[in-house]
Formats: sequence, structure tokens, C-alpha cells
Amino acid sequence: MNITAYIDPGSGSYLVQMIIAGILGIAFYFKTIWATFKSFFGGKKETPSKDEEKNG
Amino acid sequence: MDKIQKHPASYRDPSGFVFLYEGKYYRQVNQCFKHDYILLKESGLYDRLVKEKKLIPHIELDEDLNQSPEWHCTLLPEQIRFPSWPYEWCFGQLKDAALLTLNILKEAIQHGMILKDATPFNIQFKNGRPVFIDTLSFEKYDVAQPWIAYRQFTESFIVPLLLCVYRSPEMLKLLQVYPDGIPLSLASKWLPLRSRFNFNVFLHIFLQNRIAQKSNRTSATQPAFSRTKLLNIVNNLSSFVSGMQLKKVKTTWNHYYDETVLDEKYVNDKLSIVTAWLKEIPVKTLLDTGTNTGLFAKAAATHAETVIAIDSDTDCIDSLYKHCKQTGNTNILPLLIDICQPTPSTGWRNEERISFLSRCGVGMVLALAIIHHLVIGKNVPLQQVAETLSSLTEYLIIEFVPKEDEKVKRMILHRKDIFPYYTVKAFEDTFSFFFEVLHKVRVGDTERLLFLMKKKN
Repeated sequence: MNITAYIDPGSGSYLVQMIIAGILGIAFYFKTIWATFKSFFGGKKETPSKDEEKNG
Repeated sequence: MDKIQKHPASYRDPSGFVFLYEGKYYRQVNQCFKHDYILLKESGLYDRLVKEKKLIPHIELDEDLNQSPEWHCTLLPEQIRFPSWPYEWCFGQLKDAALLTLNILKEAIQHGMILKDATPFNIQFKNGRPVFIDTLSFEKYDVAQPWIAYRQFTESFIVPLLLCVYRSPEMLKLLQVYPDGIPLSLASKWLPLRSRFNFNVFLHIFLQNRIAQKSNRTSATQPAFSRTKLLNIVNNLSSFVSGMQLKKVKTTWNHYYDETVLDEKYVNDKLSIVTAWLKEIPVKTLLDTGTNTGLFAKAAATHAETVIAIDSDTDCIDSLYKHCKQTGNTNILPLLIDICQPTPSTGWRNEERISFLSRCGVGMVLALAIIHHLVIGKNVPLQQVAETLSSLTEYLIIEFVPKEDEKVKRMILHRKDIFPYYTVKAFEDTFSFFFEVLHKVRVGDTERLLFLMKKKN
């Protein structure tokens, strides 16, 4: 963690963000697969939101 | 030369500090922050945020007013007319402040910078909208690092908002006790069991708290973070906060004008009298005490530059804030303040965030139908009400609600009448000691009286 910071990041903050980012990454992956699956079988076409596109 | 006063709350961040000079607030940028400050300007982030009215604009001065060896430059930011503190905001205001912080964070990342802190005290309300005021919160973004202020953001924004959603909006006042954020360990006790089944609440509160409690060691080798990972978290936080909604509740006050025993003629009469007086006495800043859903604050907003509309009812203030946002009313500042329990001075040495009454020198006060709540409801002596109001304002529009009024009758129905002095005559005599009565009018067909008064010199 950035040791030049003037605020206390809190204990385990690095690990927390690694885990949360990992979980969100997996969730996004499955969401994309589900959207593709639905559009393939003729469901309503779903496109990831603008925010998701940016980080995807 | 006027004395320079360093702002008592501006001591945490070594990047610079805020000071008061000749009645204006300035910000000194220190040498140690020079490179980040230059990056803020050269990356285009400052211009972009100012253009979008998200960051307070400033003028850069090449004058070392503090004669300090650490000086790099001096900034004169646009001044905030009436500073407010997060524990005076309603749910909607804190939510918008949270979304603004996240939005600025995303823009900063796109410009190769990041927010090094995330506290609601970095935000003020200007022209009805939240604006980021801490120009020194931006630093160069290191893609291998996560967000240093993630915990601070969670505890200062997410926890109080969730406590509003799952418990009660009154819980926002907890920020007065925990200005650095409500600890996760407390939040996980206070949030109900059902909140754990919400994916985002589980992730950002319960999981974070669990890991924080177990992790006391820092590993020497940490895997690198990435921009994508950080954006995943920031985008998730944005959609999490955007989706937060309060449950519709009925409070004592939020349907006051719909259900009150007072008829339409009374309300219309009162509105036309107050409006005429507002036209007669133009003022810059007006304080509407006990604003309810802001009927009179809205009328005042067409005559005064700034209307501070206060009430102790969370739902009333939230409704007024929503109304102002929807209608584009930019000069009303709704705040959750009980005039009987105004915000005290808080923080280190009780100097960091000054009390409501110390901030409150205004041109006019509206005190409509609150006198009976103060004198009979709270036992405040008439003399103290008059003295306090005279310390706040030059002009006063006050409504006297006599004992014969239905509302007052109800208030003393189940208690001993210890208010023999609560009469129109005593009211006028007491207030005449501090104010000169300019107008006195009966409202509608009621016994209620409206007074326009001017403070005596």
C-alpha cells in the first residue's frame, strides 16, 4: 500500500480490494456470458452498460 | 495588514492548508505537493472538473501571504456562501455527495490521477448542487496500488447511507459523533441480518470488516493491483450508491400542509403577506426556521439570494432537496437542523467545524408557526427566543400562535398550563425590547398574527 498516504488506509485494505475486485471480475464475466447466451437464443439483446464497457 | 488565520480544521494533510485573510478563504499549496498540483492542471483534469461544475474553481496567486518556507503557490477559491456539514445533510444530499466523489474519482483515473482521501467534508453545497472543494485531494495514480481511501469512503459515505436505508434516516446524525466515518465494526452490528443477503452490502461492509479484523499482518510481497480492478470497484460502488433508496414513510410533519386543521385561506393569506414583506425588504441571505416542506422558503427564494431552510424532520428536508433538484432551484440550501438543538462546534478543540448559530448571521429570519413549539413545547422563555433571534438577524418575520389556537390547545391538553405569560401582549412587549415592530397583521380568519420586525440598534 502507498506509504506516502496521510490517511490510514485501514488494516487489510489491500487484501480486501484484491478480493472484492476478484469477485466483481468473476461476476462481470458471468454476466457477459449470460448476456451472450440470452441474445443467442433470441432473447432481448443486452449490451453491457457504458461503465461496464469501459472497464471490461 | 490583516492577520492571517489558519483554518482550525486544515492540519491533517501536509500538502497545504486553508487560511482566512481579509475575510476570504485562501489555500496554500506546499512544495511537497507541487508535482501533483502541476499534474492536476496539466493533465486537463482541473479544467474538466471545473467546466462540469464538480470542482470549486480558483484563481492562482503568486504571492506568499503566509511567508512560509514550504510555499509553492496560493489559491483563491470561489467562496462558499454558507458552509454546511455532512451531519446537517439529508439522505439525498449525502448520496449525491457520494456519487460526486466517485464520479470525480473515475475522471481522475482517466487523467492519471486518484483521490487520496474521500470524506464528505471535502464537499460543500453551492447553487443547490454538491461541489468538491479540496483541490489538494488529487495525487498521481500508481496503477499497481488500490484506492487508499476505499475504507474511508466506505465508512464515511456507504455506512451512513446504508444505516438510513436499513434503519432510519435519522442515523445520518451519527456523522457528528463519527466525523471520520462510522467504523465498519459498528456498522456490521447495527445493520440488520437481512442486509447481509444484499451482495454489495455483504461485499463492502461485512466481508471488508471480516478481513480487516483478521488481517493484522502486511505481506512483504503483494500482487500488483490494476486499473481494471480499481475501475471494477469504483463502478460497482457507483451503481450500489445509485440504487440506494429510502422507504416512503409518513412523519409528523411531511404532510403538514395537506392534513393540517388550518384551511387553504389561511395558508394563501400567510403566503401573500410574507411575499409582500419579502418584496419590501430585500435581503441577501434568509433563514427559514422550521421550513417543513419549504412552502415559504420557495417563496423567499425569488427574493433572497440564498435561503437556508432548516427543519428537524428528515423526510421534509429530503423532499425539499429533491424538489429543488428537480425544479432547478439553486438558491435554497435545505439542512437538517433542529433550532432547539442547533449543530454545536465540533472537532479538535471544538474549532474544526463551527456551530450553526456562529455561521448564521443572516439578513432575515422567517419564524412561522414555531413560537408555540419553542415556548410551550420546549419551555423556552419568550425573552430567550427574542434575544436569540435578534443575535441572528436584522429583520424578522414571526408568527404568533395564541393559546386559543387549536394547535396550542392540543399541546396543553394533557399538561399543566404553566404559561400564563404566553399572550400577545407579553409577546409584543418582550420582542419590542429587541426589535421594532414594522407591521402586524392577522392571518386569514384565525387568531394568528404575523409580525415584521427590525432589530433595534
